[in-house]
Amino acid sequence: MNCEGQWMTSAPPTRPNPGLFQRNPPIAGEAEAIAAAKLGDADAFAKLYNLHKRRVYTLCLRMLGNVSAAEDMTQNAFLHLFRKIGSFRGDSAFSTWLHRLTVNLVLMQLRKKGLNLVSLEETVNPSDEDTPKRDFGSRDPVLSGSLDRVALERAVATLPPGYRMVFVLHDVEGYEHNEIATLLDCSVGNSKSQLHKARLKLRELLCHPERAIQSPLISESVK
Amino acid sequence: MIDPFNIDFDNLKPEEFEHILPELFATGEGKVSKDPRLHKFLAANPDCAALVSDLEAIAEAARNLLEPVAVEPSEQVWLNIQSRLHEETKLNGHAKKSE
Repeated sequence: MNCEGQWMTSAPPTRPNPGLFQRNPPIAGEAEAIAAAKLGDADAFAKLYNLHKRRVYTLCLRMLGNVSAAEDMTQNAFLHLFRKIGSFRGDSAFSTWLHRLTVNLVLMQLRKKGLNLVSLEETVNPSDEDTPKRDFGSRDPVLSGSLDRVALERAVATLPPGYRMVFVLHDVEGYEHNEIATLLDCSVGNSKSQLHKARLKLRELLCHPERAIQSPLISESVK
Repeated sequence: MIDPFNIDFDNLKPEEFEHILPELFATGEGKVSKDPRLHKFLAANPDCAALVSDLEAIAEAARNLLEPVAVEPSEQVWLNIQSRLHEETKLNGHAKKSE
């Protein structure tokens, strides 16, 4: 299995994604821990786990929307890290590399389960029941005041998986549409369309929170 | 079908605006409300202006979700990792010995 391979071999994004790198400054002691972990130092690996477990777990939780699946995937990601850390060359921040490795593992698992992450049909078929409906003839309810984190987390957790994936990757994690298109094996236009629908759906959910279905992510991750 | 490269912004209809909105967000660094080509249209169409404002607010709030939530994976996750690594190390050791 070569999860990071997709990133290593695919064409680089047309423009660099400063967001991911700016958001991942070096962590004190991390470089030493990486070097030691490459030599098989168990304590160094434990340190890397402690430094990055929350970020990896949060990412898994947001993408999978399920605590148990997120824990399994966190375990999987760190086991994979242990086996592959020797191939980390330091071209990007370690957290960025680990983040991408995790995203690829999550997507791989979802594909194995047969989940069609981004359906082209969904884009061209407006009858999809999950597609947010807009009617410019009537006045839409609008969001009032600033959006709080808990409300947004709750709404994101109830998005359909395809919408959630694109929204988390683009708006939360800072991926570009061309990167998402590569990851999800869809067109750039499809990624833009899915993101727009995700935001429309979120607006609907935030204006009408009673329409959101309770998700395990809400009660266990949003505190 | 609307040609996204040949849009008459002065005579844009709300339905057309909705159609091109994903592209406007994607190409305008997420700041559709600041696009000078749309000032007149948004001023004349408060529903569309409200929609843009809300979608921008959602995108802005999403950036604040990057920081991990205040929860960690359970202790069992690390125990499982340690156990699996221990098994793998043992297996690798046996494999090396038998070579």
